[in-house]
Amino acid sequence: MEAFFRHLYETTGYNFSIFYDRRDELNFVHGLGVSLELMAISLVGSLAIGIIGAWLGGMSSQLVRGSVRVYVQALRNTPPLIQLYFFFFALGSVLSVIGPNGRPMPLLSNFTWACIGLSAVAGAFNIEIFRAGIESVPRNIRDAATALGLGRTKAFFLVILPLAFRLCLPALNNNLVNLLKSTTMAYAIGVPEVLYVSAQIWSDEFNATEMMLVVLVVYAGITTALIGVMQYVERRLKVPGYGA
Amino acid sequence: MKLPAVLQVDRAVGLGSLAGLFVRPSSRSLLCMGLLCSVLLAGAATAQTNAAKAPSVLATLIKWTPLMAEGFALNLMISFSAMLLGTVSGIGLGLATISLRRPVRRISWITTQFFRNSPWLALLFFCVYALPHQATLFGASFIIPDWTKAVLGLALPIMANVAEIVRGTVQAVPTIQWQSATALGFSRWLTLRLVILPQCIKPAIPPWMNWYAILTMATPLASIVGVAEALQVTTEALVSEARFELLIPMYLYLLTWFFIYCYPIALLTERLERKFGVIT
Amino acid sequence: MQAPLARSLALAALACAAIVAARPVLADDLADIKKKGEIAIGVKAEYKPFGFRDASGQLMGFEIDIANGIAKALGVKAKFEPVQDATRLPYITQGRVDLVIATMNTTPERERTVGMIQPFYYASGASVVAPKSAHLKTWEDLRGKKVCATQGANWNKPIEEKFDPTIVAFRGMAEAQTALQNGECIAFLYGNTSIAGMLSDPTHWADYEAPLPTLNEGPWAMAVKLEEKDRPLGKAITALIAGWHKDGWFLELEKKWHLPASPWLAAEHEKFKNK
Repeated sequence: MEAFFRHLYETTGYNFSIFYDRRDELNFVHGLGVSLELMAISLVGSLAIGIIGAWLGGMSSQLVRGSVRVYVQALRNTPPLIQLYFFFFALGSVLSVIGPNGRPMPLLSNFTWACIGLSAVAGAFNIEIFRAGIESVPRNIRDAATALGLGRTKAFFLVILPLAFRLCLPALNNNLVNLLKSTTMAYAIGVPEVLYVSAQIWSDEFNATEMMLVVLVVYAGITTALIGVMQYVERRLKVPGYGA
Repeated sequence: MKLPAVLQVDRAVGLGSLAGLFVRPSSRSLLCMGLLCSVLLAGAATAQTNAAKAPSVLATLIKWTPLMAEGFALNLMISFSAMLLGTVSGIGLGLATISLRRPVRRISWITTQFFRNSPWLALLFFCVYALPHQATLFGASFIIPDWTKAVLGLALPIMANVAEIVRGTVQAVPTIQWQSATALGFSRWLTLRLVILPQCIKPAIPPWMNWYAILTMATPLASIVGVAEALQVTTEALVSEARFELLIPMYLYLLTWFFIYCYPIALLTERLERKFGVIT
Repeated sequence: MQAPLARSLALAALACAAIVAARPVLADDLADIKKKGEIAIGVKAEYKPFGFRDASGQLMGFEIDIANGIAKALGVKAKFEPVQDATRLPYITQGRVDLVIATMNTTPERERTVGMIQPFYYASGASVVAPKSAHLKTWEDLRGKKVCATQGANWNKPIEEKFDPTIVAFRGMAEAQTALQNGECIAFLYGNTSIAGMLSDPTHWADYEAPLPTLNEGPWAMAVKLEEKDRPLGKAITALIAGWHKDGWFLELEKKWHLPASPWLAAEHEKFKNK
């Protein structure tokens, strides 16, 4: 395969250097790994935020409910990139400790901030999605849970949430795909994910178009895989009587 | 009328109409804005450490406001242009996905899925690097500015998503309408133009507005490819001031601008969804 | 039909006369300059610390000092014309200025268009700006440490290969500078000239320095008209530059304007000292 791409470069000028150049290949694979790590962590994080936020959003305390709503509206109606800048540059400057040489050292790395930022935004959307799903759980099931003596928390996690999860799967699927695509934003704060690494490669090898194609194909592959998994989950968790 | 999943607004507020547990939108929005403004002011107040020597944070924010406003105007212009371009091309692409000719359907479907599933930043990069610096039209050469390439790059995913909206709304129109139109002797194109598409406009508006909001919030990505819009102006202003205490207030300030612009759009979208009865 | 023809001919003649009269008098050799008593020099007016204006609008900088030195040595006054990257060559070829000293790298195409004077007077390359408290002494001190940079800079890869720092590249200079101030990285890798510009602003960068010598240097040249290079004007400037390398005046200027130490400049000094 190496020989094929080298030959391709020599004959046509299309330079897919990541396939025949050892160094570029290693860098690209490393970048891919960072991207996948970022995606996995933000996926889990955003789901956790979604569930917790949906649970908190149903509490009796006006303050708690209000805070959740402020969080959701603030993160949904502001640009994610600026939020990321805010987290990394602004909050990062405040959250620092004095390092060994007497200079301030940031507490969280840019990778951590990227995970936090991405999870926060996707989590805000997830809160809305989960809450909509929870609201559409029929009243009688809620009453049945109360009748069986389940407390609020138990009823939420054992009865309502599983059902709500199944009902909101299509919207959740959409949001998770968007989360995967949004991981490229971490480029802006210097996280060496796949787009960052590709930019480095094309600035050295002058093969911007080829690398862009590779990146787009890689993302198409990842999102297709995720959609496939989510569609499988949807099929397995289908609730009879709901959905198309 | 059952709408397919493609019309599910990403924000899933369509189901919010069933909630009925919300605080009324007007007081909710006041609560949100009030909390945000107080956070901003608290940040400004607590950050006045060297108020004696350096100008206060508030004064600095005001000083940079005109420049930031210029950048923000560029953001809005990019959003309008990209939305216009994306909508027009998206309608065409959407109609192609329901074409009677199989190859046209195939190609347009693949195109739609490709641009829907591509990261917006990657598409931006692609447009900025793949498109040439200048073009010759009728013998006169002119330079294609960066923001134009950014508009093209952002219009591509909008085109794909508008195509999906078009496809979804058209498919949601009951088949009987098509059959009646054929019975009355309408050609396919006439049916689409006079019967089907007019019915598609109303249900399409909430998801379309939703995508506009998402697009506006994606315009700062243009700063990564070098367009001097609001985020770049803010970051450069912070560097030229080089005061730590300005970082939080200034970014919060910029976030508030976007919030003030996008939140009313979100509220309007919600109201229109309830009105047009988008329920899945 | 004679009248309109005569009229248009007259108008054309008038126009030609006007154009000829409006053309600036071209001082196209040293004698002309000396006769006029002033030399027109194209310089940068917005590039700290090479050519910029102070608060009162007065032009100053590393290159301004050199330009004034040349004018003084020739016994004439210096008349400055602000130039940009795009206009510095056309100003020479059109005769608007006699000499251009404007942060210009040498390229083969440029050498075909104008006369690039040798020896060169300065060189640009990669350097770092770091806090004074980091106590960086050599490039090896960066090994394994985080270094901020900008995406796509052509010195990122060579530096990374040679000294193995962890380069964290940002979209632009502003983000990298903010990250440096936040302590994200120990140094900011960038062009030595822009770094000098940063450091010439003591209010914000007082705690920072450019401790490392510049690497990957590409020389800068002054330019005159192509044919002037071997005529008295070009020869005079060549001799002046050689003399200043010899007596170390350029090194003094470098210190005066807080430029990072340029190994190329030091080497030129050694070279001419022994001649």
